[in-house]
Amino acid sequence: MAAIEFQGVSKVFADGTRAVDSLDLMVNEAEFMVLVGPSGCGKTTALRMVAGLEEISEGTILIGGNVVNDVSPKERDIAMVFQNYALYPHMSVADNLGFGLKLRKVPRSERRRRIQQAAETLGLEPYLDRKPRALSGGQRQRVAMGRAIVREPRAFLMDEPLSNLDAKLRVQVRAEIHSLQRVSGVTTIYVTHDQTEAMTMGDRIAVLRDGTLQQVDTPERVYQRPANQFVAGFIGSPAMNLVDARLTRANGSLVAHFGDHSLEVDNELVAEHPELLAYEGKDVVLGIRPEDLEDAAFVGEVPPGRILEAVCNLREALGSEELLHFPVTAEANAGEPIGLLDRKNVMLLARVDPQSKMREGDRLRLVADTRRLYFFDPTTGRAIFADQKQVPGAKS
Amino acid sequence: MITPWIRRHRKSSKSVSSQGLMLPGHRMPRIRRRRNPVSGLTNQGLISPSDWKRPSVRWGVGATHMLLLVALVVIGLGPLLWLAKAAITPTNDIFNHPLSLTFAHGAAWSNLRTAWSTVQVGHYLLNTIEICFGSWLVQLTVATTGGYVLSVLRPRYARVVTAMLLVTLFLPAIVLLVPLYLMIVNPPLIHHSFMNSYWAVWLPAGASSFNVIIMKRFFDNLPRELFEAARIDGAGPVRLFFSVVLPMSKPILGVVSVFAFIAEWKNFLWPFLVLQDPNKQPISVRLPAIAGQTQLGVFLAAMLIACIVPIVGFLIFQRSFLRGSGLGGAIKG
Repeated sequence: MAAIEFQGVSKVFADGTRAVDSLDLMVNEAEFMVLVGPSGCGKTTALRMVAGLEEISEGTILIGGNVVNDVSPKERDIAMVFQNYALYPHMSVADNLGFGLKLRKVPRSERRRRIQQAAETLGLEPYLDRKPRALSGGQRQRVAMGRAIVREPRAFLMDEPLSNLDAKLRVQVRAEIHSLQRVSGVTTIYVTHDQTEAMTMGDRIAVLRDGTLQQVDTPERVYQRPANQFVAGFIGSPAMNLVDARLTRANGSLVAHFGDHSLEVDNELVAEHPELLAYEGKDVVLGIRPEDLEDAAFVGEVPPGRILEAVCNLREALGSEELLHFPVTAEANAGEPIGLLDRKNVMLLARVDPQSKMREGDRLRLVADTRRLYFFDPTTGRAIFADQKQVPGAKS
Repeated sequence: MITPWIRRHRKSSKSVSSQGLMLPGHRMPRIRRRRNPVSGLTNQGLISPSDWKRPSVRWGVGATHMLLLVALVVIGLGPLLWLAKAAITPTNDIFNHPLSLTFAHGAAWSNLRTAWSTVQVGHYLLNTIEICFGSWLVQLTVATTGGYVLSVLRPRYARVVTAMLLVTLFLPAIVLLVPLYLMIVNPPLIHHSFMNSYWAVWLPAGASSFNVIIMKRFFDNLPRELFEAARIDGAGPVRLFFSVVLPMSKPILGVVSVFAFIAEWKNFLWPFLVLQDPNKQPISVRLPAIAGQTQLGVFLAAMLIACIVPIVGFLIFQRSFLRGSGLGGAIKG
C-alpha cells in the first residue's frame, strides 16, 4: 500500500496533443480514487503513466514517496486491470493468476496458496483449470481482478473494468470491486466515464476535462458543490439543467429570470452565499437538478416564486421515477449542448413522482427547490459559491 | 400415452411451419415459401435454397459442379496418380503404353525395392529431411524474432527496417544467386567456406523477408493490452516473447512452417550449387543426377517415394498447423 502523487504531470504526444495538462493530484494510502471524465479527457493516459506504460512528459509521479518516472512497470509493484481483460488466452485461469507471481519468483507453495485464496474470494475455484475462452464475460473480468489481487501490489490501477459487462452484471461486479478494495485496503485508482460508478465507488472523485483537473472531492461534495459548470453537468444523472439567466432584485429577494420564467432564490441560500449579491443585475448561468423539480400536485402550498409552468414535451416513465421533458424559451447555455433545441429554446428535465398524472402536451406546474439552485459565472463557468480551494488548477 | 401426444404435436407443429399462419385448407401462395428466413441466414451461397428447387438450376449447377470437380481431379491428382501407377509398372510397359490403366505384364513392385536399395532413396531422403529441418529452424527463428522486434518491441528504426524488408520482396531471387554464392564460398568475418556443409543451405534460408513480414503482420494484430499486462506482471522482452507471444502465434507458426518445409523440400538450384558432394545432396538434387543411369520404372518409383513423404507429413500435421488455438477469451472485442 502506498500513496500515489501526481506533481504537475503532463503528457504531450508526438503529434503535439496535450492529453494531460499539469495534473496535481494526491491519492492517499488505501484510498479509492476515481478519475472520471468524458472520452478523451486524459484519464486513461494519466493512469497509464502511473503504470509506467506511458512516458511522463513533464512533472513527476511518486508512488509511496519515491519518484517513479524512470522506473519500469515491473518494478513499480502495481497491478492493472484492463478494460478488455487482457487475459493470456493460452493459459488456464490458475496460470493466468499465477503468471505474475511466477515471474517474481514466488515459491510454488506460496503461489498455490495465493491463487487458491484469490479464487475463493472471487468464486473462481471451479474454473481454475479452464482457459479464458471457456468463461463468460463476468468470469473473465473476475480473473482479471484476481490477477491483480494475487500479486498483493502496492496499488491497483483499473481502466474502465466494467465497461464490457452488461448492465446487470455491472452493478454486481461494481459492488464486488468496491468491497474487495475496502477489505484489502489497497490504494486504487479507478478510471471510468460512468458517473454512477464514480459516485458509488470512490472515496474521492477527480473530474477531468481535456486533460485538466476540474475538481477533486468526495462524491457528495462533487454532487452538491460542483466547482464549475462542467462538473455540474457531468456529475448527476439525469444531468443538471443549465440555462442562461439574469439575477435581479424584486420584493427584497433575488430573482433569477430565464426566458418567460423566473424563480425566486431562497433567502437562506443567499445568506449562505453572499457572493451571489455581487451578481445582482448581471447574467449568470442557472443550474437546477432534475430531482429538485417536482410536480406541484405532490407539494403543498408554495409561493408563486417557486413555480415553473411549461408544456410537457416528452414523458419517460421509469417505474421508480418519471422524467418530464419541457422546453423553455431561454438562451441555451453555451457550455453543454445537452437538450439543446436551438439558441432560443432549451429542453429542461424534471424528475418527478412516478404517480404524476402529467402526460405529453399537458401544461406542467412544477415546483423548484429554490434552496438548491446553482449559479455559475457565465464567462469563467465557475460556480459562484464554490470553495476555490477545491478547484486545483481548474482553468475552465 | 405420451408417444401419440408427441406424434400429434409434431404433426401439428409441422403443419404450422409449412402453412405459416394461413388457415387450414387455404393454399399458401408460392412466393411465401421461397422466403425462408432461417435458411436465408444459414446459407450464404450465391444460389439460394429456393433457387435450388427449380429443376433447371439444380441440373445446370449440379452438372457444372461435377465437371469442375472432375477437371480439378484430373489436373491436380492425375499426374500424381499416374506416377503412382508408373512407379510399379515395368519400364517397357511405361514406354509402350504410357496411359494404360492396367498392368499388361503385371505390377513390378521390385521397382520400389530397387529404388530404396540401389538408388539409396532412403539416404537422400534423410539428407532432405535434415536440410528441411535445419532451414525450418533457421527460418522460424529469424521470422519470429524479426517479427517480434518490428511489431512488438518497435525500436525507433523499426519502420525503416520494415520498409527495407518490403523492398527486398521485389528482388527476384535469381538476381541474388551469384552474390549469395560468393558469400557462402568466402563469408565475411568468418572466412571459412560453407561449401558442402548444410549451413550453406540453412543460413541463407533464414534470409526470407516474406516470413518476417507475415509474422510481423500477425503480431501486429495481437492485442497490445496483453503485452502491457505481461509487462506489469513483470515480464521482460525475452519472457514476453516465449511465454506470451509465441504460444499465441501457433496458427502463423504452422503456416510459416508449412511454407518453409515445402519450399526447402522442392528446392533444387541452391542445394545443387553449394552441395557438390553427392553423399550430402538432397533427393531433389540427386534424382535428376541419376536419371540417366537408372531404369525409368525405378526412377519413377524413387520419385514417388520422394513425393509421398511431404504429402503424408502434411496430412498428419495439417490439423494442428492450420486450426490453431486462436485468441479466444484474451480480450473482449
